[in-house]
Amino acid sequence: MTTLAQEFTKGIFKENPLFRLLLGMCPTLAVTISAINGLGMGIAATFVLLCSNIVISALRSIIPNRVRIPAYILIIATFVTIVDMVMNAYAPDLHAALGIFIPLIVVNCIIMGRAEGFARKHDVGRSIIDALGMGVGFALSLTILGAIREIIGAGTLFGANIMGTAYQPMMLLGSPPGAFITLGVLLGLFNYLFKRLGVE
Amino acid sequence: MRENLRMVLTLLVIGAICGGLLAVVNNATAPVIEARAKAQFLEALQGFFPDVADSKVTEIEGEEFFACYDKGGNLLGVVANVTARGYGGLIPYDLAVDKDGNIIGIRIKTHSETPGIGDVIEKDRFQKKIIGLNFADPISAGVDVDTIAGATVTTAGMISSIRRVMNIVGEEFLGMEVEKTEIDLATVADGTYQGTARGFKSDITVEVTVQGGKITEIVVLDQDDTPNFWNMAEGPMIERIIAAQGLDVDVVSGATGSSTGIIKAVFEALK
Repeated sequence: MTTLAQEFTKGIFKENPLFRLLLGMCPTLAVTISAINGLGMGIAATFVLLCSNIVISALRSIIPNRVRIPAYILIIATFVTIVDMVMNAYAPDLHAALGIFIPLIVVNCIIMGRAEGFARKHDVGRSIIDALGMGVGFALSLTILGAIREIIGAGTLFGANIMGTAYQPMMLLGSPPGAFITLGVLLGLFNYLFKRLGVE
Repeated sequence: MRENLRMVLTLLVIGAICGGLLAVVNNATAPVIEARAKAQFLEALQGFFPDVADSKVTEIEGEEFFACYDKGGNLLGVVANVTARGYGGLIPYDLAVDKDGNIIGIRIKTHSETPGIGDVIEKDRFQKKIIGLNFADPISAGVDVDTIAGATVTTAGMISSIRRVMNIVGEEFLGMEVEKTEIDLATVADGTYQGTARGFKSDITVEVTVQGGKITEIVVLDQDDTPNFWNMAEGPMIERIIAAQGLDVDVVSGATGSSTGIIKAVFEALK
């Protein structure tokens, strides 16, 4: 039995959803134009992941096995819609920036994956830890990706100019191909680091 | 059977609870969202007309036009809440026109144009070309407003949309008349008419014969355009206008200047 600490950190390192499992690529590539977008998306996904993990874990003995997927989708979609509405009301700028990718959290593989692969087999406590670990791992990864693209692609970080006025932004990293390039480089880097550190 | 019933019931209950939850959250957030949209809207109107105290909305062909009034109820101008078609999709924007038909402001709401290229429509470089144009100006890409190189589709889309909006604003709100570009043959008496208009580099004079409400013959009396291009344009254009019995015809590609000159000359003859 893994300890709770291990359950938490696995989401950040060993089973990092983005750099190790390569899940949830669609929102990842699309929204990480800036660090704040990446962080916002990460927090939104974490919230949905946490809520859905709790509910699905709590209902795991009630939901009949054969209809579990539609039940999960209902639960996940509800939380996503709540996030969408709350964000629209209280964080309109972020809501506008993330746009269509908020409703698309419904089909984010990480959330479905954790529901199916973890929450339905573990108790509520462990599911919470798992969701937090995975969520932090996802949010952290998105923020790193967004920060790199923002610094090079726009010369700013969290909206603050850090490269000086003489810096000519490299537009490519802000555009969709830049997302693939940055992700590819980061994947290579993390694979190398993990190998050196002996994390498998 | 019992198992099936249990599946149905479970899903039903989950669905009902989810629905209820959403209704609660929606009730709580909808007023906030609406209030913010309204505040932003009035602020946007004030950005165009600082003295605005009241506005009245009119819906024309699915788009909203806001007539803005000051405290005394005098018309200040119109803010049109409209949509253009760009390169990356639709571009919703606001166009503000004062009561004399001058464009005083444009605000792009959202767009999905290419960053660094089509997003020029949000910037001064493009907007400066638009602001100050009058209803009476042609507002036509390449005529009085240049498109931006590299972003032709986006900027030409915006410009043609602005012309369309100006026509609506001018006619519906400001009592201005849109210049005719099409002729009503039914109102033209039989006879021959002459008209002159600028071609590619010379004035083109045509003689148009109308019989029984139909264009029967178009003869070019005078022109001095570049012969190679003129010859490409003359025959096909005359054929097309007679076939269409109107001026909404395609120009000959490669000889646009001469082609549009012929169309304009026929228009001048019959208007």
